[in-house]
Amino acid sequence: MVDQLPNLGREAEMLAAMGMTSIEELFADIPSEVRMKGDLPLPPPQSEEEILSDARRLLGANVALGERVSFLGAGLYRNYVPASVFQLVTRGEFLTSYTPYQPEVSQGMLQAMWEFQTLISELVGLPIANLSLYDGSTAAAEALTCSVRVHTRKATQKDTVYVSELTPPDRLSVMQNYCQGAEIKIKFLRHNDDGTLDMDSVSEAIGSCGVYVEQPNPLGLLDGGVTQLKEILGEHTALIVAVQPVSLGLVEAPGHYGADIVVGEGQPLGSPITGGGPIYGIFACSKPYLRLMPGRIVGRSIDVDGNTAYCLTLSTREQHIRRHRATSNICTNETLIALMGAMHMALLGPEGLYDLAVRNMTACIMGKQKLQAVDGVHIPHSSGDHFNEFAIELPGTAKDCLEYLDSVGIVGGFDLSLWYPERTNWMLVTFTDQTQAKHIDLLIEHLSGWVSTLEVAA
Amino acid sequence: MSHLFEHNGAKGQGYSQPAPVLPASEITLPSGLSRKALPRWPRLSEPEMVRHYTWLSKRNFGIDTGFYPLGSCTMKHNPRVNEVIAQIPGIADIHPHQPEHHLQGLLSIFHEMQYMLEVCAGMDQVTLQPVAGAQGEFTAVRCIQEYFRLRGEDQRTKVIVPDSAHGTNPASAAMCGFEIVEIPSRTDGRIDLDALRAVADDTIAVMMITNPNTLGLFEEDILEASSIVHGVGGQMYYDGANFNAILGITSPGLMGFDAVHFNLHKTFSQPHGGGGPGSGPIGVKQHLAQFLPGPLVGKRTANEDELHAAVDENWYHWYQPTHSIGKVQQWHGNAGAIIRCWAYYRRYGRGLRTMSEHAVLNANYLRHAIHKATKEAGVDSLVVDGAEAKVAKHEFTLSLAPAKEAHGISAMDVAKGLLDMGYMAPTVYFPLVVPECMMVEPTETESKDTLDTFATDFAEVLQVDAETLHAAPVTTPVRRVDEVYAARNLCLRHPYDDE
Repeated sequence: MVDQLPNLGREAEMLAAMGMTSIEELFADIPSEVRMKGDLPLPPPQSEEEILSDARRLLGANVALGERVSFLGAGLYRNYVPASVFQLVTRGEFLTSYTPYQPEVSQGMLQAMWEFQTLISELVGLPIANLSLYDGSTAAAEALTCSVRVHTRKATQKDTVYVSELTPPDRLSVMQNYCQGAEIKIKFLRHNDDGTLDMDSVSEAIGSCGVYVEQPNPLGLLDGGVTQLKEILGEHTALIVAVQPVSLGLVEAPGHYGADIVVGEGQPLGSPITGGGPIYGIFACSKPYLRLMPGRIVGRSIDVDGNTAYCLTLSTREQHIRRHRATSNICTNETLIALMGAMHMALLGPEGLYDLAVRNMTACIMGKQKLQAVDGVHIPHSSGDHFNEFAIELPGTAKDCLEYLDSVGIVGGFDLSLWYPERTNWMLVTFTDQTQAKHIDLLIEHLSGWVSTLEVAA
Repeated sequence: MSHLFEHNGAKGQGYSQPAPVLPASEITLPSGLSRKALPRWPRLSEPEMVRHYTWLSKRNFGIDTGFYPLGSCTMKHNPRVNEVIAQIPGIADIHPHQPEHHLQGLLSIFHEMQYMLEVCAGMDQVTLQPVAGAQGEFTAVRCIQEYFRLRGEDQRTKVIVPDSAHGTNPASAAMCGFEIVEIPSRTDGRIDLDALRAVADDTIAVMMITNPNTLGLFEEDILEASSIVHGVGGQMYYDGANFNAILGITSPGLMGFDAVHFNLHKTFSQPHGGGGPGSGPIGVKQHLAQFLPGPLVGKRTANEDELHAAVDENWYHWYQPTHSIGKVQQWHGNAGAIIRCWAYYRRYGRGLRTMSEHAVLNANYLRHAIHKATKEAGVDSLVVDGAEAKVAKHEFTLSLAPAKEAHGISAMDVAKGLLDMGYMAPTVYFPLVVPECMMVEPTETESKDTLDTFATDFAEVLQVDAETLHAAPVTTPVRRVDEVYAARNLCLRHPYDDE
């Protein structure tokens, strides 16, 4: 700790300047009844070298996906993040700054976030984006409460929103926690056997405040039917579409087919998966939602000399001004990770985004082509087009299959019974820009091997 | 003045990518889903991109640039080894859905962090899932809400918040569906027990309070406040924003609290990165533990066949609390921030108390030095303490009300004057109970020399004439920014030529 405390050893001198003789005098206002007795039951202080050594040992015991062949995605996608992103984001001026309350000395981050807003706005096809929420799930949850704030007055199904029944339970749970306080009812949209949205169930959502669907859906399926939703729902129901942002290099931007709010896990643009955080949530919307949306927004302005300058704006929506009437309680967000996103987007450019989307989607197509040929493996939604991932149905449980693949060094995918308990034999297999043809061949080889052990056992 | 969208090379991709595994012609998309026009993103080569963001970084002020006494925000130095650790593939490249035997290192660190926070806070169980302080507040109040629902105490519809509280407190409680009862503070910002007694009844679910409070003063009557709230069956919630003042000295548990959130990024260390990420774990007493968001990390003795993947004699595993409220973030919280804070706490270990002592020493020393310097410069009549107090804790408030009255110099004018001196300005106009408030938090990582120089410079700013200060800053990348113009002429994205 010595290296972190410049005034160690200078305590007496500083206390004397205040007319004090002991540190204890600084804590005289803390009553003895609440004083802690004895030392904290914690280990002794360590040096930087010792901490680094322990960190390498403990974190080295984790299985990093890069050490294996991996097909695990299910909401987080391992894309390559260019080296310059890490080099620049750790510049101290960005890294160690706070929320830009003093815009005159925060122009760098403010401008970078204004540029981020533009990049996201262009990506999703909507005019407004904030500078990030915590993750995709909280962005989705905030979108639902925002839709109710905007629409419940005119809604015939007041305080009611509809979400796809495929929404992963962990994401749904976040939505439920955010919605319950405002007594918002969450109802479900059904899906057809081929994985597409059931349009009859969509018509049940007419008159509600908001409809939440994902494109691609949680099973990787791209659903053309989603482009029809706005026409069915009309202007008094918010269409909320969650996206995998990289897919938008190939797939139409939801704002161009009527989405009012677009959310998503920003992670595939700019961020490693980092055990699920810190990552960043995308939130973009059209004009009617602007004054009731959550999160911080940067506006372009001028300084007293008339020069271009940037600052936070529309703060009257926020907790530090509006307190219990704020649109959200969010204060700290994920600006630094959003900055990584902006840097990645700037490096990609439009054509680079297209190329990245092509790499992700063709890896998925190759996976599908080869898995279709494995005896005993069935692809439930094989007629559809998939981005990043799709479900496969196995001749045994996904749990057993994943354990077998793990024993040969392959992270095989995601056990879908954790989302949909009756689907014990369904596994979600994910392909990204990091997937190579030889990885897929290895998966096929060992998956076939596992299937044959079942046949022998039978 | 340049911006990203001025860069429009022919096809100058910033980095070249390997060929796809199949030609793009293999791709089919459902009807109507093929993107018609790519986003109008700029086209930059890597050198252009690097220069753009380096230029932007030079127009930004961080702790690394200079003294950052932003009250309430705890802008301490961020040790760089933490950034090195956060890049280790065993944290950067792991997926939350990997099996437990892939994540024993992570789980053991999570377990250690749960334990460390429990003993520091005097709580029985910690969850690391909330990703920011405000989300921690929301999560804890949700847990208490479920606790009362299970007990059939549905009449508890109100949450008490002092008027000096952080805005997130009422916002978080309101998000849970509670009605907010705001009670006035005394003139020193401390809790008014009579005001509390007047509203305490069996409709109260929670009282949310920060201690040291938002003026940096310890609530000496905290046990009495806890007793009043518990007396009517309510729960006490500790806003941990100022926890860095009291580690190892007292704890929320000893003060009678039932639940607490930690701002890991402030109390320990995670670079704030222009507004985030953060990390907002919560700790609760046993009666609330079953409601926490899951999964939590537990441990048992490792079996023989598990030892190859274990990091010690224990097996660390996830488990779900019995009446869990569910999740507040889809994954396991901000694992990367938790690792950094683990590395930070390890530097102090059982010596965390020394960290808090130095935070408080520095704050009191700076408060004293400012008063001394302003007196020597003959401007002590322009600034007074925000609240009467013999000692402050980790931060203190000043009021520029006399300067405003005498010369029309506002707290904001002084803040802008300090920017010209090469400092980040203290927090201004919070807490609202102090007129022309300036809240100063030096943190434990500033040297005595820095504090002395700042005090002298502060006094110098107060000697500047009003007209000059109104025009400040003049040395910054831009001069005073027109926030009203920004709100009235909304420009939230780059206006393309055809718009």
